[in-house]
Amino acid sequence: MASNKVRTFLTLLGIIIGVTSIMIVFSAGQAVNGLLNSQISSFGTNIVETEVKVPTDKKKSGTSGEISSAVSLSMGTQITTLTLADMDKIDQLDNVIDSYGAILGQNQITFADQRKTITLFGANASFINIDQSKIAEGRFFTDAEDRSLAKVAVIGSKVKTALFGDSDAVGAQVKIGNLKYEVIGVMKERGAAGAGLDFDSYVYLPIRTLQKRVLGINYVLYLVSQLKDPEQSDATAQAITGLLRDSHHITPDIDPATGQATTNKDDFRITTMQEMIKTLSTVTNAMTILLLAIVAISLIVGGVGIMNIMYVIVSERTAEIGLRKAVGARYADIMGQFLTESVLVTFVATIIGVILGVLVSWLISVGATSQGIDWQFGLPFYSFIVAIAFSLLCGIAFGLMPARKAARLDPIVALRNE
Amino acid sequence: MLIEVKNLVKEYRNEDVITSVLRGLNFEIKKGEFVSIMGPSGSGKSTLMHILGLLDRPTSGVYKFDGRNTENLDDNELAMMRNEKIGFVFQAFNLLPRTNVLENVKLPLLYSKKKIDAETRAKKVLESVGLGHRLEYFTNQISGGEKQRVAIARALVNEPEIIFADEPTGNLDSKSGIQVMEIFQKLNDAGHTIILVTHETATAEYADRIIKIRDGEIVGDEKVHNKRRGDGNGQLK
Ligand SMILES: Nc1ncnc2c1ncn2[C@@H]1O[C@H](COP(=O)(O)OP(=O)(O)OP(=O)(O)O)[C@@H](O)[C@H]1O
Ligand SMILES: [Mg+2]
Repeated sequence: MASNKVRTFLTLLGIIIGVTSIMIVFSAGQAVNGLLNSQISSFGTNIVETEVKVPTDKKKSGTSGEISSAVSLSMGTQITTLTLADMDKIDQLDNVIDSYGAILGQNQITFADQRKTITLFGANASFINIDQSKIAEGRFFTDAEDRSLAKVAVIGSKVKTALFGDSDAVGAQVKIGNLKYEVIGVMKERGAAGAGLDFDSYVYLPIRTLQKRVLGINYVLYLVSQLKDPEQSDATAQAITGLLRDSHHITPDIDPATGQATTNKDDFRITTMQEMIKTLSTVTNAMTILLLAIVAISLIVGGVGIMNIMYVIVSERTAEIGLRKAVGARYADIMGQFLTESVLVTFVATIIGVILGVLVSWLISVGATSQGIDWQFGLPFYSFIVAIAFSLLCGIAFGLMPARKAARLDPIVALRNE
Repeated sequence: MLIEVKNLVKEYRNEDVITSVLRGLNFEIKKGEFVSIMGPSGSGKSTLMHILGLLDRPTSGVYKFDGRNTENLDDNELAMMRNEKIGFVFQAFNLLPRTNVLENVKLPLLYSKKKIDAETRAKKVLESVGLGHRLEYFTNQISGGEKQRVAIARALVNEPEIIFADEPTGNLDSKSGIQVMEIFQKLNDAGHTIILVTHETATAEYADRIIKIRDGEIVGDEKVHNKRRGDGNGQLK
């Protein structure tokens, strides 16, 4: 009996692991979705982003897709066509409240005897209103300071800690490159925002100061526009597209199949947050479905284990089946008895799997949280239903053949089998 | 007539080898009879009992049970007939392991359409075979004689027309064997039809009539003149 139980447990492992995996996949899917959504909404949901992009060759397009600005930078092609003048035009649109342009640069910052290489983040004064970032101490720079190329800087919380420790930063003079800047504010800590962005390690400069005094350019990397009505973000994106094609003198190709203008000649790409959320949840959903498909295979393997156990049970109970038939059990009675047993066995395995799945999911979230990842533990209600329904289905499907074998046993053969 | 058998033939066919087990049997058994089927090992007694008990079908010939030609009954109908009209007692007891005495006796009622209180009925029958004190015992905790009485109680629980017993004393010592035979005799006195399969003359003589078979043929069908009776030590009152 004891070794019997060990054998049963081992054959049930397939179902247990399958169900556990289902629970983990659902839980991870939900957590990743939540993680991505919280990261996206940390940028704000009512915004439209316009970033530079390398136009794709019409002949190559479609297969290679579009090249992101990051890749184009590493390839040495920098698109210089997006400017603050474009931003002013976008600001004229009805649905746009305000925008900021942004550009990144690298340079050395020096304070007292400390020297660090840091990322300079140039933005319009409106950045502080549109973005989720907040000022902790002092103030952000003004539009007037931007236009007059004032040498003022706002520093990220990590920069403050690194250079100033606990002493006051506001009012201090730092050297960026060869010029002295006055620190007028410190940003509130924001935490990692994903995509390798670490706003807390930036030094914020007025965009024109960074363009003219440090980088010697007059383009921007991207523009972020705040919308009155986020529901209208697609229409606004359309309007921005038209406006930029106009000012950048782009005549789009027409896709002969659809008769629509294509974006391959564009030197910019517009992303609405709405769209981004949609894309990301499509991706995570696709991942979830893919993983579930793999898990389904493992459950089927588990189902074969169930079938194995049931065949063993049926052959061990041949005499019992014969007796039951002798005293009047019909085909359906025996069938029902063994199907019930198969479902019961599967159900026990499923419950163990569900409990393990919840436990492991919880451990993952605890582990991830301790690593500073915003991984919310949770399981959608339907994950329980899917796990239980699917494994019970396995129990029935894989119990069917052994149960049929039992129900078909000739009572004579079964009775002589003592 | 409860049982009518005409030209009953049973053959087993294994890869072109035909084994003739029953070769054209003819007999009748009335309601209320106590009949022994006797013969040496391999003569076809069990095979005959299985056919008479509707567990098996003849290769050819006619078998009428309770006036119905059994040839026209499908497997489910046969199962229902077995449940309602037939009780079996086997040499090897055939009790369910890891199950107590009471549950074993209730088993046929599980498949019955009759609306009776299974618990009460099973207890009553167990008391009648002298096992009222063993209800909760598991089947591996009781003696062979007790096991066979549980099997008899199970055969009786659904109030069958007829009880078939295949070597019911074969695995018992002589005292338990006599007890079991006494129970059958009392049941027969109470009006039950009993068909007993045995190869021992002594056991066969508890019946009123002995049908002797040898090599699948009836070689004798006689009344018992000096019918054996138990010495009254049986537990049935
Ligand atoms: N499935 C089968 N295939 C072939 N032959 C079989 C089969 N079942 C039984 N037999 C044969 O039928 C013959 C009669 O068997 P049966 O069990 O009826 O004998 P029996 O009179 O009950 O013997 P015993 O007293 O030993 O129980 C035997 O020779 C046996 O080998
Ligand atoms: Mg036999």
